[in-house]
Amino acid sequence: MGLLRYTAFRVVQAIPVLIGITVITFILANLAPGDPVRLMLQGQEVDQEVIERVERQYGLDRPLHERYVTYMVNLLQGDLGHSIHRDRPVTDLLIQRAGPTLLLVISAYAFALVTAIPLGIIAATRRNEPTDHVSRIVALIGVSTPSFWIGIMLILIFAIQLGWLPSSGLVYPWRSPAHYGYSGYLELAFQTIRHLLLPMVALGTLQMATLMRVERTQMIESLQGEYVKLARAYGVPERTILRKHAFQVAQLPIITIVGLNLSTALGGAVLIEYVFNINGIGRLFLEAIQSLDYQLIMGITIVIGTMFVIGVIITDISYAYIDPRVTYGDRD
Amino acid sequence: MSAEPLLRVEDLKTQFFTDAGTVRAVDGISFEVYEGEIVGLVGESGAGKSVASMSLLRLIESPGEIVGGEITYKGETIFGLEEGPDGELREREDMLTNEEVRTRIRGNEIAVIFQDPMESLNPVFTVGSQLREFIELNRDLSNGAARQEAIDMLREVGIPDPEERYEEYPHQFSGGMRQRVLIAMALACEPSLIIADEPTTALDVTVEGQIIDLVDELQQKYDTSFIWVTHDMGVVAEICDRVNVMYLGEIVEQAPVDELFYDTKHPYTDALLDSMPRPDRTVDELDPITGVMPEAISPPSGCRFHPRCPDARKACKRIHPENREVARAEGYPHRAACIKHDVFGSDYEESVPIENGAGADQQTPASATDGGRGESERTDGGEHDE
Repeated sequence: MGLLRYTAFRVVQAIPVLIGITVITFILANLAPGDPVRLMLQGQEVDQEVIERVERQYGLDRPLHERYVTYMVNLLQGDLGHSIHRDRPVTDLLIQRAGPTLLLVISAYAFALVTAIPLGIIAATRRNEPTDHVSRIVALIGVSTPSFWIGIMLILIFAIQLGWLPSSGLVYPWRSPAHYGYSGYLELAFQTIRHLLLPMVALGTLQMATLMRVERTQMIESLQGEYVKLARAYGVPERTILRKHAFQVAQLPIITIVGLNLSTALGGAVLIEYVFNINGIGRLFLEAIQSLDYQLIMGITIVIGTMFVIGVIITDISYAYIDPRVTYGDRD
Repeated sequence: MSAEPLLRVEDLKTQFFTDAGTVRAVDGISFEVYEGEIVGLVGESGAGKSVASMSLLRLIESPGEIVGGEITYKGETIFGLEEGPDGELREREDMLTNEEVRTRIRGNEIAVIFQDPMESLNPVFTVGSQLREFIELNRDLSNGAARQEAIDMLREVGIPDPEERYEEYPHQFSGGMRQRVLIAMALACEPSLIIADEPTTALDVTVEGQIIDLVDELQQKYDTSFIWVTHDMGVVAEICDRVNVMYLGEIVEQAPVDELFYDTKHPYTDALLDSMPRPDRTVDELDPITGVMPEAISPPSGCRFHPRCPDARKACKRIHPENREVARAEGYPHRAACIKHDVFGSDYEESVPIENGAGADQQTPASATDGGRGESERTDGGEHDE
């Protein structure tokens, strides 16, 4: 019950944040320099009358607040407006492009977690030994190297020099094998992974490096806890101490970082999609900015903002679920 | 006593090898624990009490190491060295392996209660599951039986509604209640010896009283032996049968509790007792021990207490006294490591007092009451001495 109420409470709390996101995005998009209608006409000379007609058609002649209200009413119905530049509903564009981005971000996180947690634990148990020093250097490089550069290097090495992996595009596991001309689902899965590998590593390295360091610090702290001393004194095997007693406590900050770094990961996805030529939301975003397609810019910003808010809520809830000390607000 | 002791510690040495040098945290201590008794290990912070007690379970973490001595428990060698053919010291063959210490000694034979009940329980597991885990590990009980035992034990240590509390997390317990849980853990594993490492230090005085009463009661019921580590002479007086006073890694005095209090043989013990408020004496001002305990990295020459000792003489700087039997009481030896006793046959009597501020502190202040108090206590102690 407590958890359910807490969830509802967090969702309600998020509403003002979401409204804030729409207001700021709307104002910023409209303050941006450049006139979308003129941009659409790409420098062609047209009558003032034509411009006014187009403006009327898209409601650009009305005052800002009126346009905001209309926008919000449409938004609540799932309509994010119409892309002037592409002449298609923004919602359709987003749905079409969301899959690749989610696939990329989720796999990058999976990669980061699967590598960072064991490596962090190993570094913690071999504190100040060579393994630990190596992991420290790897983490430092991982944190300080831009993901797009890692992406380019990976392409140079694994796609161009060695020719092992493809350098661009993704294969989507939700499409039928026939679409790509593959023999079956096994090949589809294989190709999906082959295509995903490089962008996943490029995007996940930063997360991996951060998480690994946090995991190490947390495990060291946890292993020095009195409860670990007590477990040892009662003859609990060292493996159990590591896997259960120390581990469980050490994971709490990891969850926080995963949740909060979601924005970094989505930002990184923009660059990685560009480098690897993936048709995701990130690339769509870049194209939208270049063409000043502000209905699309707003749509993407709102969707990414909302995803981030959802990420934070999920973090909070899972925290409350895992750490019994987090109260749900209905206790002291 | 004629009976074999449950635990015998002989010349135990535990050292920490740090960058600054070797810290001789425990430097050759010997004591015994017999069945059913509570043995106190008393001293200031840093005297080596906790290191000594953790050595008994071989739970010394790097850079620390037990480097010498012998620990025998129920005839088994927890730690013991012998000289190898190459003249180097090596571990004795009958010494228990790490795995044997873990499975045969820790928990099921020797259990511990730690100082800080707030930190000793794992915050993310329920109190019951932690209790059950230790019981399952140390006793041959099925899952259900271990759970029942855990609940029974919680009830035994005075936790109300144990069935409900079993499912709760440590943060839902108060400090005193958590310490009760830790006591329940120790008793539930049915050990013969429990090491209580300052178990009441983190608690307020009323709760401390309750916990001491509880332990006293349960100790009699289960006839478990205890090693009670503390810095509080008041607690010692209340609960211990016999006492070891530690100073800078050494045991300087060892005696049954009444004997220790009424016939103190070591100036350090005297100083400890003087620095403590006592209901049987009214003083204007407490008499703290002057100075701070030196570092165990470079202990003073001779008697380690001589720089702070009011009775220190030249000879004390030179002679390092071992803990020798100076009297007998209740069938136990009364040992003290101070050369002013005749058994040492030193030239203490002829030696000149040294100026270390400890003695002067009691005499130089011109106030008559102060001097008078110092005087009367001295003779008070003297009467018992002769």
